Amino acid sequence: MAELPQIHSVHHHASHAAHGASSRSERPSLFSWLNPPLLIVVGLLVSYGLLVCWSAVQGLEKYSFNRQLMCVLIGLVLMVIVWRFDYRRLANLTTALLALNVILILSPHIPGLGTDAGMGAKSWIKVGMQVQPGEFAKVTVILYAASLVARYGGTLDDVREYCKVVGLLLVPFLCVMTQPDLGTGLVYLAISAAVLVMGGAKARYLLITLALGIAAIAAVFAVDELLKYETSPGQYEYRLLKNYQRSRLFVFLNPDADLSGDGYNLAQAKIAIGSGGLFGKGLLNATQSTHGFLPEAPTDFVFCVLAEEFGFVGVVALIALYGALIAVCLSVARGADNLYGMLIVMGVIGMWLFQILENIGMDCGLMPITGIPLPFVSYGSSFMIVNFVLVGLIGSVGSHNSVSGRKATP
Amino acid sequence: MLVAVVTALIAALIAVVVIAAVFVVRARRSTPQVGAKKGVSQVDTVGVGSSSFARQSAAKAARDGEVTVSSSETSANAKPSDGMTRRFFGLGILSAGILGVLTTKLWSMQILDNSEYAHAAEENLYTTVNTPAPRGCIYDRNGVPLVINRSTQAVLADPEVADNRDVIRRLATVLGLPANVVAQRIADSSAGAQSLRVVADDVRLRDVAFIAEHADAFPGITVEERSEREYPYGALAAHVLGYTGSPTKNQLEEKREGRDLLAIDTVGAAGIEATYDDVLSGDHGERLVMVDAGGAVVSVMSETQPSKGSDIYLTLDAKAQYVADKALADLIAPYGVIGGGKGTKGAVVALDVRDGAVLVMSSFPTFDPTNFTGSIPDELWEIYRRPTAYAPLNNNCISGQFMAASTFKAFTSLAGLEYGYANEGSTWNCTGKWDGFGSGDVQKCWNHDGHGTLDLHGGIVNSCDTVFYEIGKAFYDHGPEGSGEVSETAMQDYVSQFGFGSQTGVDLGGEASGVVPTPAWKAETFRNRPADGVWRGGDYTNLVIGQGDLLVTPMQVACAYAAIATGHVMKPHLLEEVRNGQGDTVVTYQPEVSRTPEVTESHLNYVRDSLHDMIKESHSVAPLFAEEGIDAAGKSGTGERQDRNDTAWFVAYAPYDDPKYVVACVIEDGGGGSDTAAPIVAEVMGALFDSENGKSDVSIERLPGSTGESVEISVDSGARTD
Repeated sequence: MAELPQIHSVHHHASHAAHGASSRSERPSLFSWLNPPLLIVVGLLVSYGLLVCWSAVQGLEKYSFNRQLMCVLIGLVLMVIVWRFDYRRLANLTTALLALNVILILSPHIPGLGTDAGMGAKSWIKVGMQVQPGEFAKVTVILYAASLVARYGGTLDDVREYCKVVGLLLVPFLCVMTQPDLGTGLVYLAISAAVLVMGGAKARYLLITLALGIAAIAAVFAVDELLKYETSPGQYEYRLLKNYQRSRLFVFLNPDADLSGDGYNLAQAKIAIGSGGLFGKGLLNATQSTHGFLPEAPTDFVFCVLAEEFGFVGVVALIALYGALIAVCLSVARGADNLYGMLIVMGVIGMWLFQILENIGMDCGLMPITGIPLPFVSYGSSFMIVNFVLVGLIGSVGSHNSVSGRKATP
Repeated sequence: MLVAVVTALIAALIAVVVIAAVFVVRARRSTPQVGAKKGVSQVDTVGVGSSSFARQSAAKAARDGEVTVSSSETSANAKPSDGMTRRFFGLGILSAGILGVLTTKLWSMQILDNSEYAHAAEENLYTTVNTPAPRGCIYDRNGVPLVINRSTQAVLADPEVADNRDVIRRLATVLGLPANVVAQRIADSSAGAQSLRVVADDVRLRDVAFIAEHADAFPGITVEERSEREYPYGALAAHVLGYTGSPTKNQLEEKREGRDLLAIDTVGAAGIEATYDDVLSGDHGERLVMVDAGGAVVSVMSETQPSKGSDIYLTLDAKAQYVADKALADLIAPYGVIGGGKGTKGAVVALDVRDGAVLVMSSFPTFDPTNFTGSIPDELWEIYRRPTAYAPLNNNCISGQFMAASTFKAFTSLAGLEYGYANEGSTWNCTGKWDGFGSGDVQKCWNHDGHGTLDLHGGIVNSCDTVFYEIGKAFYDHGPEGSGEVSETAMQDYVSQFGFGSQTGVDLGGEASGVVPTPAWKAETFRNRPADGVWRGGDYTNLVIGQGDLLVTPMQVACAYAAIATGHVMKPHLLEEVRNGQGDTVVTYQPEVSRTPEVTESHLNYVRDSLHDMIKESHSVAPLFAEEGIDAAGKSGTGERQDRNDTAWFVAYAPYDDPKYVVACVIEDGGGGSDTAAPIVAEVMGALFDSENGKSDVSIERLPGSTGESVEISVDSGARTD
């Protein structure tokens, strides 16, 4: 860690300069630090998401819409705090962030604290209420990755340095695979990839890394095939990938193979989406979820409820909102005056993009089934709060420019 | 309302997207300006710029750990994103690409393939549950109910109850069934995944009331009224009525046209129930229900009640049938055990000679179809399968094949007359022994003392075998072995005109054809023992007296005697008419002539007269008919068999001058025809006339099925008497 370059000056000079700029420029509007497009898009997404979430939890005792609302309020408060917080203070805390990540992600393994919530994977802890530290770690992973890569000032073309960075970026992924939670792990990888690409890593290295990644996946399957053992005649247990993970993957490749088990979820999700048609069946009229054909409707398959109730029109509205969100974030990234801020935004974009692709993609059979929630829509307290914190971070990047930002340009 | 809300929501969303887009465009527009400034500053500043030199040096400095990032006011105008334009662009394309691919895929699913998925969603949601329809009832010609429906209380369970051990245990206690049987029945999904499972069919009202009163303790349990076959008179006409059962796998797969057969149905398995299954079966009730993923019914969308099948009116006369059934039972198994009386198997068939309507069809041993509702109990099935039960399920009237014995002489007489081997003036001398072929193999007349000289009339009346041996020999002498004037099957072809050797076509399943032996038949039958397969003169002399290899069914004999009475062989039938649910007659049976034998009227009259005198001049038979006041013509028969008692036959039609009814009776191992069979024929004939005249005092009572028990019957070595 000691060998990592330090970003001494960002905090002192830049923050100072930012304050100076805003005080020195023409009379700033009271809310110059606000980013109205971002707030409007997020506001609409959250409202839309809450509407869908509300309709999805109807009649399901397992879920509480009030809890979701409460999380939105907590998230809003946190968002405002983070927005006003100068993110640059975290720029040099790479080692601390790494340590925090490892502790957070491994915390479900701590006896007495961790609980498997009956889901098999150890990804929950109980502190008053059940939370998923792996979800909160998404924030720290973004901060950590951005801080790590920003040290190189936008140029990463030394093989040894590149390998070191990649190795350090893999730490959170490896930690979360001990739970195991492949979905969250893939989100970490998406964040790392976005930060690495935009952090100036050499294109050739990136391509080689991608090729090695694919080779590693192939190797996992190959080794698994050698390590498998027979539990009962015709039944095999694999060591590296769990059976359910394998079946989810193969169901995605061959959806009609098993219509009662994992194929059932996929088939029902597709029926829900497809039967929505152009205008949908109307709010609360989603027969696939209200009659229980669609499992986990409010969480992993919430998009199906939306597609069934509001049809293609509603789907396009959601995708357009996501597009607008990413566009707004991209513009914040472009406007950021220091690399650390830009990479934070890119990490967030990478994460959202991947989660949108994976969640909607798995619902319509384009991607394997994993438990990745849809940003701002899926039921789930941890991830809802995380999303607001991330919006706060983007706001913080947008409003803490050393030079006069977009708003304050003389 | 909802549409308005959604539309407003979508409109707001679109508006916001536009606004956001405008902001983005504005932000983009400001970037080139910054870029222009940057272009200038880039030349003279060393910051985190885009020139490769700058970047390299920065990286180098970074490794040295001393770099300061954008520390000066001027270089601060340069942004870290400036050197990443291509990657920003690429990321933008990637984002747009991802969202575009998702949109395209969703468009193809929601717009292009919408109808497919919508159909699948409906299939998920709606299920049709069928309820069985009551079958039609069966009545006799006078409306006496023979098969009716009884409403029973069936206890049904929701499939989910299979997981509820408490309810299963309570049900088992109330219904008196083992808990594992209850669980097994609830788990049985053969009637359809959503169908309620039948736990018990015919539950006592007391138990039903208990379940209804304690509904809280029996969640998922319902009681439904079902209908079950009931046979008010037990075994009466059991072989005609048949029985019902659950459809077999083959029947379910067969998909017969006009019959929507489901596993919940009952289907005719034998008798009229089977022949007219399509008529008797009604239309299912249908319930279109909305279900959830667990298969539980959420709501009933529509419901149509099942409609009962059509009723069938048979040609049977229940009172005469009862007389015949009872007479057979009393004769053969007076104490419920075969062998306790006379004979082992019996059959009585009565027809209306004018249209072929079957008035009586009685077979013994018999069964009570009441025991067969649902399924045949294993124990009973085991007993009935044993040889000592004498096949109670077999309908001896149409499936039983017997030697015709002397009843056949009426037809061989006609053959002899037709071919001129006998005429009104022919006479023969009977010495009791006959060796017409000179082979030394002496054949005997039943009257070993001989009948003396008699003509054909006397031959029929006294049933003199010698007279018929001569006629048989005449066919042999004129056949290919002799002068060759007639074919080797001349006699067989002639008698076959009366329906022997082929099915009568009665509307019941399982009818046998009987056998009229010919040289070709014999060669084929004994193909493994060619020495025995040679056709000899003795085959003619056996056939001519109804012995040897000849086999007939009682139905064939009845039809053939009806033909003697009328000149036509009618197709026998049991269906009189079909009435639908409203009581309207929808089908009425039209009589059908199946054969018209080529026979000279004078020959026919000669034989009729002889048959008339046979009854009149018989000391034992004449009083039987006289007592009933009936002027009948008929013939007895006694079939001789090796090591068995004789097969007793009697067949008669009446009135002699205006024939209406024919009654045939056969009793296997029954002894002499006049002694054993004639009284039953007379009694049944009497019952038929009483019924016709409205004077019948028969009250039909419930008849039991055979027990299946028998004792060994002693062989009577005494000589034949007819």
